[in-house]
Amino acid sequence: MTTRTQTYAEPRRPLDRTWFHRQERHLRLWRRFLSQAIVRETHYRAHFVTTLIVGLVRLGLALVPILLLYGYTDDVRGWSQAEVITLVGLFQVVTGVLATFVAPNLMRMTTYITEGELDGVLVRPVSSQFYLTLRWINVAELSNVASGLLMVIFGLVRSGISPNALEILQAVMLVACGTVLLATVWCAMSFTAFWLQSVNPIAFLYNNLLESGRYPLVFFPAGVRAFLTFAFPVAFASTFPAQALRGDLGWLQVAEGVGLTVVAIVLVRAQWRYGLRSYASASS
Amino acid sequence: MRTVPRNLRVLRRMTAAHIAMSLTYRGVWLIFMAANISVPIISLLIWRTALAHGAQLPIDEQYITTYFVLLSIVTMATSSWLTTFLASDIRLGKLSSWMVRPASLLLNFVANNLSEKVMKLFALVPMIGVLWWAFHDSMNVPAGPSRVVLFVISILLAGILVFTIDILIASLAFWMDDVSALHQARLVIANVLSGSIVPLALMPSWSRGFIDNQPFRYTVSFPVEIVAGDLSSAELLTGIGFQLGYVLVFGVLARLVWSSGIRAYSAVGA
Repeated sequence: MTTRTQTYAEPRRPLDRTWFHRQERHLRLWRRFLSQAIVRETHYRAHFVTTLIVGLVRLGLALVPILLLYGYTDDVRGWSQAEVITLVGLFQVVTGVLATFVAPNLMRMTTYITEGELDGVLVRPVSSQFYLTLRWINVAELSNVASGLLMVIFGLVRSGISPNALEILQAVMLVACGTVLLATVWCAMSFTAFWLQSVNPIAFLYNNLLESGRYPLVFFPAGVRAFLTFAFPVAFASTFPAQALRGDLGWLQVAEGVGLTVVAIVLVRAQWRYGLRSYASASS
Repeated sequence: MRTVPRNLRVLRRMTAAHIAMSLTYRGVWLIFMAANISVPIISLLIWRTALAHGAQLPIDEQYITTYFVLLSIVTMATSSWLTTFLASDIRLGKLSSWMVRPASLLLNFVANNLSEKVMKLFALVPMIGVLWWAFHDSMNVPAGPSRVVLFVISILLAGILVFTIDILIASLAFWMDDVSALHQARLVIANVLSGSIVPLALMPSWSRGFIDNQPFRYTVSFPVEIVAGDLSSAELLTGIGFQLGYVLVFGVLARLVWSSGIRAYSAVGA
């Protein structure tokens, strides 16, 4: 009686039976990334403190123009100081989430492509785009999300706005859309590394453009407003959620945000596939 | 042998070499400058809106517009990125190989800074040109060629001032393991006090005495004020005087710290 040896050339059971199994496996994987990141963070406690301090200083710096501006007036185009503070807090939450989950990955984009590290990812049984976008997590940056939330509450109390449950739901949905939209825009900018090789200066440009999210949309001229809504969609991450909390936003705009998010995800997925085809490994 | 002409010759050669290196990645400079110009544009639009909707600012639209259009060119011209590099050269012992060469490591950084300025200037000037054209109705034109000359002199002095402050901070790496926290702190303080975020003219009146005389004003704000503001001839002269004074003070300090650091230097890997 001989047992037949199996080779890799023979057909095997696929890794995932259905599309849902595949998503579930990636979710499990991401949970592992997260717990690994938390363990790593406990080893470098000084890093946590520095990140916290740097984050608070950045936030303080961002408030300087707003505090000075409202020293000269009480109301700019229908926005009071307290309402703008709420908006800055909301935006801080979004940038904090991006800095935690997306930034540590896209910052590595240049080395992935120029040093051929992408090769090692492509042979693994995992979606390469998922792995490159979400593999590394910087837990310490979550402290900025916390300070952002505190600012939102402070701003709401100062302006005497008490949003109801539906308005909060609108704001949460818009913040989620805004976060995903900004992440996809940054991905789209970073994935140009397939053609440009070095994208470190692009991260610099992205971060500077992000400063525009700290102000209500109406502070900008009409043309710039369109740019900040559809091309570089910071409006969904700060102005629209802040308006939702005030109660002057309809569900139509929420639906618009969700629709735009879906379109952006489909586009960036297509860009990744297209870019991957032009990738000519750097290491082999 | 006379050292000054020799050093100048070395500097010229090294700058040319650095420019040749920078030319390898030409596109990078365009992106860098697009990033550099985006924050001043955002501020410009915000403050113009505030002004147009009834904010009682102590400065007018002309001042604001001229200030922010010129801001990016002045921050670019006076910036330096040497602190991190110099500190790591000291810490990791790269300085050792420069100590046996007939030119100072600092000269290499001057050459690097000059080459970077040349590249950035080519990328930035067209962008500033477009901005100027877009806002030409509310731009201040400098009153006479003497203002332009003063503007250029003041930018040069501001550049030297920033460079010496950076040498001063990086030289602390002779004694400290990590100067990056100190460097970060300096960047944050300088951002506010130099007028790179908000024009110093908008600072509250109780802070005037301090704001107007502290050194960081002379690294960015003062050169811009020469064109944007309505400084009298007396204010111009005292301003330039202050700037020269700060250059001297920080120059002497940096020189002292650097030379005592060289003496305290115990090379790594040598």
